[in-house]
Amino acid sequence: MIPFFAQIERDLLIAWENRQDLAVMLIFFVIIISLFPLAIGSNVAILDPLAVPIIWIAALLSILAGFDRLFAQDVSDGWLDQVSLSKLGLGWYALAKAISHWLSAGLPLLIMTPIMAVMLNISVSQIPQLMVALLFGSMGLTLLGVIGAALAEGARRGAALMALLILPLAIPLLIFGTLASQSETGIISPHLMLLGAVFLVLLTIAPLVAAIALETGETETGL
Amino acid sequence: MFDFFANPSRFVRITNRLLLPLVIISSVCALIGLYLGLFVSPADYQQGDTVRIIYIHVPAAWLALFGYVGLGLCGLFYIVWRHPLADVAARAIAPVGALFAFLTLLTGSLWGKPMWGAWWVWDARLTSMLILFFFYLGFMAVANGFDRAERGSRPAALLALVGLINVPIVKFSVDWWNTLHQPASLLRNGGPAIDESMLTPLILMLVAAHAYFTIVVILRMRALLTERRAAALMLRPEKTTSRGLT
Repeated sequence: MIPFFAQIERDLLIAWENRQDLAVMLIFFVIIISLFPLAIGSNVAILDPLAVPIIWIAALLSILAGFDRLFAQDVSDGWLDQVSLSKLGLGWYALAKAISHWLSAGLPLLIMTPIMAVMLNISVSQIPQLMVALLFGSMGLTLLGVIGAALAEGARRGAALMALLILPLAIPLLIFGTLASQSETGIISPHLMLLGAVFLVLLTIAPLVAAIALETGETETGL
Repeated sequence: MFDFFANPSRFVRITNRLLLPLVIISSVCALIGLYLGLFVSPADYQQGDTVRIIYIHVPAAWLALFGYVGLGLCGLFYIVWRHPLADVAARAIAPVGALFAFLTLLTGSLWGKPMWGAWWVWDARLTSMLILFFFYLGFMAVANGFDRAERGSRPAALLALVGLINVPIVKFSVDWWNTLHQPASLLRNGGPAIDESMLTPLILMLVAAHAYFTIVVILRMRALLTERRAAALMLRPEKTTSRGLT
């Protein structure tokens, strides 16, 4: 288990060294959110029902935008080859990548969310639902992003390709997430349970799919 | 069975024999089906002549789904057994399936405007079909997204496999959710719910479309195999030139 945590620690360290990237992602999140009221107009009757969907779309876009070239550095400097030879294995490596990426990108975004929610006039009693749903949603999106980044690794125009791959897969998270965030019956709603189920499915398949995809990339670049 | 088809030249030999019967089946069924569908079968008492669009819409929708199942199975064969023809088959199926998915959406939207009063509604069946179309596009983008063509095969196969989740959602969306799109009327408990005068041309068109799909996929597979063979021949070193230390 030690290599697993070492991998997480290493990635967090790298993320901290590049903390400016994190700031860029958060600013991206805030700007997307503020674009909606500018486009829709400040009419409260129209804007209020859209507040939760706006936050979800902004979160989805900014989380996925952060995945560009997640594995690129590790492929080019040979880290990935070392990992696949080590005891860690590519599946655990992918999971460690997901965890460190969520900690360095998903968590700050989650911390920003209440502020944005207040700006969008979401009532304080609705914020816990939104936060819990977005917690699972952001973790699920991170796992999807790992799949996408692994599949698109080494491709031309990888970022655009990744968006094309991941956005259709993100639809269940988006549907259940927005419904769970707007639940009237407390935090635990049927939609939240479905969201959790989607997250658990992703948790089991994402490291596996990413490992298979990275294995190809690793053998191919070794040629 | 898998090993048997692993040899491309044997595949070409077998499909050579299949091609002519398939062309005959497809064209004869399409001609009779279109004639019966467009001229003989009565107009629907509610929908009028717009009902005739189902003779294109239903076969296209079936093939879009059937094609995706084929794509997913090819992905499975490619990842698990590294079957050499599975990748070629998947690459051959994807654009054809995408075209049928697009036709489904297009004909549905043409029918939807006079019947539902809208070109498009965000109904479960329509949305899941649109996502299926996106999966086809995603498959093609990944398969051809790398500088070396074969490098994209495995990621694309993985994507096709993951996208299989969507197939039952499309099929059963009309049962699971209360949708605007009508529920299945052909494959359902208690037999088809369509009058025989409309059922016969529909079944003929389904047969024609499936045969057509098979023909196009076979032709595309043969073209892809020939392309690969040509590329391999180009890479083969000339006997007279030395290749240095290698």
